[in-house]
Amino acid sequence: MKRASRSSDTVSWFAIRKPLPGERRLLLTVLSFVLPLALWCLVSYVPFIWHPDIKLTVAADREGVTTVYTAGDHVARSYFDEYANAVRRENEAVQAGEGTTRSGFSARRNNVKILRAVAPLAIEQGWISENQVTDNAAIFDVWEGLATGRLVSEKPELTPENLAIVQEDWQTLQAHWAEDPEHEMPSDPLLKLIPQGRLSNPVYLPEPHAVLLTGWKDWNAEPAEGRPSLPERYRHSLYIVFSGFFLAALAGVPIGILSGTYDFFSKLFEPFIDFFRYMPAPAFSTLLVAIFLAHDAPKIALVFVGTFFQLVLVVANTTRQLDYSLLEAAQTLGAKRLDLLRRVILPGITPSLYNDLRILLGWAWTWLVIAELIGVKSGLTEVIETQGRWRNFESVFPVIILIGLTGFFTDQLLANLRPLLFPWTPEAIGQKQGPLVRFYRWVTDQQVYVRDDKPTTSDPA
Amino acid sequence: MNNPIASWFRRAGLAALTLMVGAVASLSAKEPLKIAYSDWPGWVAWEIGIKKGWFEEEGVDVDFLWFDYVASMDAYVAGNVDAVCMTNGDALVTGATGKPSVGIILNDFSNGNDMVVAAPGIDSIQDLKGKKVGLEEGFVEHLMFLTALKKAGMNPSDVTIVNTPTNETPQVLASGAVDAIAAWQPNSGQALKTVAGSQPIFTSADAPGIIYDLLYVSPESLESRRDDWMKVTKVWYRIVDYLQDESNFDEALAILASRVSVDPAEYEPFFQGTYILSYDEAMERWQDASGLDSVYGSSRAVDAFNRSVGVYSERQDIQKYLDPSLTEALDQ
Repeated sequence: MKRASRSSDTVSWFAIRKPLPGERRLLLTVLSFVLPLALWCLVSYVPFIWHPDIKLTVAADREGVTTVYTAGDHVARSYFDEYANAVRRENEAVQAGEGTTRSGFSARRNNVKILRAVAPLAIEQGWISENQVTDNAAIFDVWEGLATGRLVSEKPELTPENLAIVQEDWQTLQAHWAEDPEHEMPSDPLLKLIPQGRLSNPVYLPEPHAVLLTGWKDWNAEPAEGRPSLPERYRHSLYIVFSGFFLAALAGVPIGILSGTYDFFSKLFEPFIDFFRYMPAPAFSTLLVAIFLAHDAPKIALVFVGTFFQLVLVVANTTRQLDYSLLEAAQTLGAKRLDLLRRVILPGITPSLYNDLRILLGWAWTWLVIAELIGVKSGLTEVIETQGRWRNFESVFPVIILIGLTGFFTDQLLANLRPLLFPWTPEAIGQKQGPLVRFYRWVTDQQVYVRDDKPTTSDPA
Repeated sequence: MNNPIASWFRRAGLAALTLMVGAVASLSAKEPLKIAYSDWPGWVAWEIGIKKGWFEEEGVDVDFLWFDYVASMDAYVAGNVDAVCMTNGDALVTGATGKPSVGIILNDFSNGNDMVVAAPGIDSIQDLKGKKVGLEEGFVEHLMFLTALKKAGMNPSDVTIVNTPTNETPQVLASGAVDAIAAWQPNSGQALKTVAGSQPIFTSADAPGIIYDLLYVSPESLESRRDDWMKVTKVWYRIVDYLQDESNFDEALAILASRVSVDPAEYEPFFQGTYILSYDEAMERWQDASGLDSVYGSSRAVDAFNRSVGVYSERQDIQKYLDPSLTEALDQ
């Protein structure tokens, strides 16, 4: 076999329980991220694969219909023609002088809305800025430009049908303004632009570039007065997770170690904790709001409740895993009860404890979204929740990805720190170290320490 | 009496009590008024007063807390806030089952924003026979839906109610798990957009005056800090005056839309479904009369209704729930 013969000089890609060489591992790690991304791009950018919707670039209201679409909304392809035709029929009625009659503010407002239908397009073309949407003079300028051909929209193009409507409306406005030097809106209805758009996937699967751009924009956006910006929200979410986790560890680690060491504490605490951990933490949310009011405290408490009980049991179990012969050896050497705990058990379990806490930190993150929803919504979750409710998934995805990246990198960092913090553990000794670790080792001269076989645990009392 | 130890205890107890009362009094004097509000357009309008700094101008310290609607009432019942924005019907439910409150400001009535939105193919309430409807049980949309059934000559047993949080109704309708939902804007509008071809088959405009929106204050807070609530009332009518000036329309829309993180153009139709009452209009509806044109008449109708469908059993004293005296004292 080809594969077998090759494995004699180099390791096969599929060798059973054999680590691959470093460059192959790196390649596969990169691929594990690239593959899903490539799939996402494929579905997003190749139109004939899916694209069941039309994303509106120009939208229009319909008379007497409560459903209001704005540019950026998605409409099913099958429904789009019905929608566009409804607007066409209204225009025909207006041309025939049979349009819905309005008066006063409502009539003028209706026309203002018709004119502003070009705003999203004008923003995309860079003709006006985002806060000029309500600036009538700027909007008039765009209409004048489009009608005279001074401005030509590219990508998305204005359909010839819409271009004709722009010209006709502009003439109506000119005629009206000839008699009205104030440039007020006429009260007779103008023609509406016919909705147009481009093929797209459903709203819940935005394109990668849209996610990136929106994420970048949201991250740098100036928030409305008195509301937190995205970086502030991020910091707030980190604060909730780490506070809840820190408190849970502060209370849980001692109880866990005691329970793992003394049967007395184990029987005193563990049965109840084992019972309590099955109660889902979110079930306590209204109770927590009643006790801790509506701001940060109930959120931190929820992360605490969600983490603490698991933590105690895991830590107790880890403590029990410690090799009993170490305790016997220490006792033979004359260690007293407290010495055993302080100088054998604690140093003995610290590396495993570190690992436990790393995993439980991930556990704490999973409570974040539920925690931030209780009481007054806050942090990143508020963005996920409100933007999700408005189906602005382009703004939701970056936040979800941000949470994922934070968790991933925190975990990677902690995992990489482990051999530095606990160089005597078998995993650390067996592992090949990166240049940074080797440099650190060299600076701190820990090589000596490593060679010394289990220095802490064999340390006589 | 002459026992020195007992008398010492009594005196110490008295001193402690005085200290506690003093502490509570001084604390409550400094505390801002905590008001819970949620995403109903008539209540989001408070944002104008907040953004413009009118509360500071009137010299009242307020803390507006943003909640989901049902969560805001929970917070009120738990005593976390001094006041909450509720409909007149839900104030009765909250009062009968949790904590009573007094409505002092009549913001608006729902004029179409509350809707029963049905999936494509269902064109009337009658079509819902034997079908599933998603709504938040025991609250305002439930009341509206049962009213719709009654008007259509149907019984509550003709449909299956699926208890659904109002802010999740759009997704639930889209999932096909129910055939219709009842919700208010922005959720109802979202449902309409999410499910192409869906349409409102009944709205609050079909039963105007069935839903009034008010600011309900806890009786304790109203008694101890009446002056501050008076100032809040003043700010509300500044907001109403501001909204009535059409040149402010775009700015107002931007403030409201930003609170609920939505595009102003998208928010505009919600305003049409909310009839914000001017001072004079509000005073008319504060008159105690039968019929839905009066907030009293409306509340009585809702009370009778709630009892008939078993939301609670005891008749509520409507007079205790409504206090127009602050609005009256403003006398513009």
